Amino acid sequence: MFDWLVDPKYYTWILQGLTLTVEITLFGVFLGLVIGTLLAIGDIYGGKPIKGAIAVYVEFFRGSPLFVQLFLAVYTVPAILNIPIDHVFLAFLVFGLNSAAYQKGYMKGAMQTILDDQMAAGLSTGMSTAQTLRYVILPQAYRIVIPAWTNEFCSLTKSTATVAFVGLFDLVSAGMSIRMWTYQILPVWLVIGAVYFIWITSFSKLMDIIYEKKKIPGIELVMQ
Amino acid sequence: MTGIVMEAKNVYKTYGKNSKKADIKQVEAVKNVSLKIRKGDIKLIFGPSGSGKSTFLRCLAMLDIPDAGEIYLGDECLTKPGVDLNKARARIGFVFQHIYLFRHLTALGNVELALRRVLKLPKEEARERALAALAEVRVTDCVNKYPAQMSGGQAQRVGIARALARNPDIILLDEPTSALDPELTGEVIDTLRDLAKEGTTMLIVSHEMPFARDVAEEMIFYDEGRIVETGSPSLFFNAPNTDRAKKFMDRIIKRTTR
Repeated sequence: MFDWLVDPKYYTWILQGLTLTVEITLFGVFLGLVIGTLLAIGDIYGGKPIKGAIAVYVEFFRGSPLFVQLFLAVYTVPAILNIPIDHVFLAFLVFGLNSAAYQKGYMKGAMQTILDDQMAAGLSTGMSTAQTLRYVILPQAYRIVIPAWTNEFCSLTKSTATVAFVGLFDLVSAGMSIRMWTYQILPVWLVIGAVYFIWITSFSKLMDIIYEKKKIPGIELVMQ
Repeated sequence: MTGIVMEAKNVYKTYGKNSKKADIKQVEAVKNVSLKIRKGDIKLIFGPSGSGKSTFLRCLAMLDIPDAGEIYLGDECLTKPGVDLNKARARIGFVFQHIYLFRHLTALGNVELALRRVLKLPKEEARERALAALAEVRVTDCVNKYPAQMSGGQAQRVGIARALARNPDIILLDEPTSALDPELTGEVIDTLRDLAKEGTTMLIVSHEMPFARDVAEEMIFYDEGRIVETGSPSLFFNAPNTDRAKKFMDRIIKRTTR
């Protein structure tokens, strides 16, 4: 059943697939964080048109399936712009934009719990709104939001399986290839599942360590 | 120069004006209040809770923007459009009732932040000045503690150091002791007495009557969004002119001497 595991070729495939899965996830969470933070700030301070645009953005990315977003990006964007665009790059972008729609919610929630008093305190010392956001609000909000990121990371990792549909070689593509060469079904997916599991649990553990390390007395998330 | 540090002219502020909810009624917190503070003045505002004292103080620091009236910091009118309010607020110290320290920073970080980012002092100089301010309010033992690790009295003294460190033209204090346990009130009051001795210009909302009697040059009785009566502490402690002030003083003195 598992005798195909002795062939180094399959390891190379799994490693290659894992690399893309990890890259897309990490890049997606990171880009999602940057855009999500900007969206949260826009949603709190922006006027009606900005708030409206953000609502449309969030509803689009939360309300439609990720693989549809991916298909749209891969098959329409290069055609509209009339230039060839690397599919991996487009996948990075879609995952980042998609994650931003969720991360905006986490960031806005975290910011709103501290905004009233900490903003008044920041302004009272002569700092501008932007300075207070940068030096006071965001450092606290990021600490509060770390556990939510861990969730976002876990869920995004598994969503990356959709890139197999647009011809990218991720863990699921690796599994499909191995299946075709070995005629094994269940054992292959068990191994692929185990690789996901090991990567996700070790990264979550790392996030927990970062959370504990960055924790400051008095700033904790009351949520389990 | 007239020596006027801060002046309010007919300041007016209401809440809930634009609210569509029927159950939130409009509150007139500040009704055409005028006030002058000269360099070195120590004035004390007192009055029933909910009368708008805090709102008035926040308006003076432009943390709440008045609906009408003018606020001057020195010669500069802060209520004119286009004024750089951040620059103005850098010259005003503000101490909050609920302290509002930056929770992710130590005592030192709290005091240092504006010195670095607003006054743009180099790192070493900012640190020195922050440490000096913390020493002045006698919390050197808390320098590296986070707000959650301090007692209320220590935290509020750090709050005062944060307001003080920039050498502001005036310090506004909004009930600096009313969120503290009675036993912690004393240490904050002692700090304020020190500041008074040094000639710091202060406008304080407080009901600490012994403190008021000792340090305030003028007491201001504030009720229902207006200044009802102003005068020296001896006036208020002996025979206030208005009935409302008289009643309020009676109640407060009974409470503190009980």
